[in-house]
Amino acid sequence: MTGTSLRTYLITRLALVVPMVLILLTLVFLLLRVAPGNPIEAALGGHVPPSVVKPIEHRLGFDKPILTQYGEYLWNIVRGNFGTTITDNRPLSQIIAQNGAATLELTFFAMLIAIVVGVLIGLVAGRYRDTPIDIGGRLFGVFVYATPPFFLGLMAQLVFGVWLGWLPTSDQASPLTQALLQTHTNIYFVDAIWDGNWGALWDVVQHLILPASTLGLITAGVFIRLTRVNVIRTLRDDYIEAARARGIVERRVVFSHAFKNALVPVITVVGLNLAILLGGAVLTEETFNWPGIGHELVLYLQDRDYTAVQGIMIVFALVVVAVSVLVDFLNAFVDPRIRY
Amino acid sequence: MKRRFRWALAVLTVALAAIAAVVATTAYGGARSSGIIIDGTTGTVVNIDPANQYDYDSFTVDLNIFQGLYGFPHGAKLQPVLATGCSHSANLKTWTCQLRHGVKFSNGDPMTSADVKYSFDRVLKIKGDQGIYTLLSDLKSTTTSGKYTVVFHLKAPFSVWPYILSTNAGYVVDHKTFPADKILANTDTAHMIGTGPYVLTKFTPSQQAVFGLNKNYWGPKPKNSGLIINYFTKSSTMKLALEQGQLDMAFQTFAPNEIAAMQKEKSLTVHSGHGVVIRYLVFNVKRPPFNNLNVRKAIAYLMPRQTIASRVYHGTVEPLYSMVPKGLPGQTDAFKTVYGAQPNLAKAKAAMKAAHVKTPLAITLWWTPSHYGDASADEYAEIQRALDASHLFKVTLKSAEWAQYSGALGKQYGAFQLGWFPDYPDADDYTVSFYQTGSFYSNGYSSKKMDGLIAKERAAKTDASRYSYLKQMQLLGAQDLPTIPYWQGNMIAVSQKNVQGINNTLDAAYYMRFWLISK
Repeated sequence: MTGTSLRTYLITRLALVVPMVLILLTLVFLLLRVAPGNPIEAALGGHVPPSVVKPIEHRLGFDKPILTQYGEYLWNIVRGNFGTTITDNRPLSQIIAQNGAATLELTFFAMLIAIVVGVLIGLVAGRYRDTPIDIGGRLFGVFVYATPPFFLGLMAQLVFGVWLGWLPTSDQASPLTQALLQTHTNIYFVDAIWDGNWGALWDVVQHLILPASTLGLITAGVFIRLTRVNVIRTLRDDYIEAARARGIVERRVVFSHAFKNALVPVITVVGLNLAILLGGAVLTEETFNWPGIGHELVLYLQDRDYTAVQGIMIVFALVVVAVSVLVDFLNAFVDPRIRY
Repeated sequence: MKRRFRWALAVLTVALAAIAAVVATTAYGGARSSGIIIDGTTGTVVNIDPANQYDYDSFTVDLNIFQGLYGFPHGAKLQPVLATGCSHSANLKTWTCQLRHGVKFSNGDPMTSADVKYSFDRVLKIKGDQGIYTLLSDLKSTTTSGKYTVVFHLKAPFSVWPYILSTNAGYVVDHKTFPADKILANTDTAHMIGTGPYVLTKFTPSQQAVFGLNKNYWGPKPKNSGLIINYFTKSSTMKLALEQGQLDMAFQTFAPNEIAAMQKEKSLTVHSGHGVVIRYLVFNVKRPPFNNLNVRKAIAYLMPRQTIASRVYHGTVEPLYSMVPKGLPGQTDAFKTVYGAQPNLAKAKAAMKAAHVKTPLAITLWWTPSHYGDASADEYAEIQRALDASHLFKVTLKSAEWAQYSGALGKQYGAFQLGWFPDYPDADDYTVSFYQTGSFYSNGYSSKKMDGLIAKERAAKTDASRYSYLKQMQLLGAQDLPTIPYWQGNMIAVSQKNVQGINNTLDAAYYMRFWLISK
């Protein structure tokens, strides 16, 4: 199959997205229906009689056969109608725009921190292999990778919020900033710059530090190990030896030749780590009361809000699938050997 | 090369330290605003529109924006608010209310009888998913007589109708801004128009509600210049925000151990007042072994109220001896009268002997970890310990998430935990809801004598006779034992030292009147 053209590869890859997404949608639908309880019982149970609950369940179609519900669910998605949440009548588009923006802000800065910290420590550790710097870097990488986000988050809150009192421990911004900031994009960092509101920007940055660092450091663990291994491998390559033999100064050999080439595989992994980052974002958002889409997912799950949970899961799935397809495309362009 | 690299590392370290120092010395935006109260809560707003609002967290938002004909503006005594008073027909089926003159909505529209009729008709027409319309199930129709008179025609005598007028089902909305047949979105603040002291200026779901002052407000001016309610998913995060000074106050809901910890903090004040939230154990009186009255009596004799209050809740709740909490007129400690104030093993043994069952009797108690707070686990562990220690019972505890639990209750469980927050703070709501035939928890309890007392209470023409029936209902409930009440929660708020006026709002009405609070 190595002779397959790039176009055929891309079309095949795109076609595979359809069954992948369909399986995800079906799983989400089934898991929610298998779980006992429904949104109306969750909302009304405990204070109104069943005679009131039943007509409402009927009106919302919860008593229809499961296949009928599934058919309606898929048909709505095909039409791009993600619906309105059952518990608080909120359009899914609003959740994606508002809370999705908050998640985007968090994951962007988390990825930035992951890349800067992970790549820097990985480069240094690889360059000074088997020295105390390397051992320290590796230990740090293993520690942050193995630590659950909520634990790292709680520790960060304790140290920087409670003991040192340096940083706020919750929310996207302080209450007054949230109340007064004009929201253009719902990404507070951008909105503050948009309005030239530098006081708000500083406030937003302070609120970002702990959650973004928590989420970023966990992903940084992967980058540290990967970068380190690649640096060590690259420094052993023939062309590096050749460069040294030609008398090129060591600094140039390392920075201009070895480091650049060592970073190529890292770029691929950055894309693939987005899924891990989104999974971690749910826990980080819970820990820091960050109003992202993961935070909403937990709230709606508790209320068994089918529409909300299904919609949010679709967004998660589509983002991960889109990034994975994009990474595959990039790899196919960069490396001609990759074909079906 | 190595030296240069190390030098670069040193520069990076110094730069990071400098950033940390700047961060440390710069105060992040906190609650340092002039006159605006910033409150924190772990609640979740479901619907702000009064036509579909039936939970306490949404009610706390609505209380600032909307008003009913009656309410609890000061203390736990029901008073006219948008009405000047209501009179009833001899059979208590027709209630005529005179409206206050000169009241305007926050947008300047005058409030008239047309708005009142529109609001009641709207609730019944929409029949929202949250079920608030069920409070108006006795309302046949609403008519007007001129601009300032409203007449409610009821299906049955209803002595506590003015209490219904104080609930969200009776909140008056502007007929020009609220659609007649659909719920207004929470974020549609431009149309969320009421007559209350505040105007909702911004609502960000699960994050924040921002209130400005209502410039057309007919009543006394609030003691602050605005209000922000910030929503938290976890009380621990809210506690940190309060300790860091990001919040002026927090109301609803801290864990008991967090309250105990904050009571020791010098920068904070823990305010506590009468509460109306209760916790109780329900029996399905048709399901063995709880269909045996003597088994239920034995459990009532052993209920460890004091231990739960002190050991689990650190004194933030009080032992409860009636389904009606202390502080409400008509309350009587019926369970203390029938079963005593303290657990009584000898009487429990006698009850089990009369029950003719083999001891220790295996029973299962159900509770939920996801609706009544984390302390529920400890609460039921204490009940299990007390019952097991008597050697009369062998208790198995089982739990389920609220979404599953609330659909099961008496339909599947024999004995289960429930809590209650009233629709209106009156003994009627704490008795009729639990003891009427066909109650919401499907426990099979039905008593002609009880139903007769309920009918008489609802037809009582004086408070004295109504309270007399309510006391009889509580005593009969204690004897029949479809439920065992065990604690009553206090109304608790925590604030910074400079916040004033919170104690003025902690009463049995359980209203957080933010307009009375200043700093």
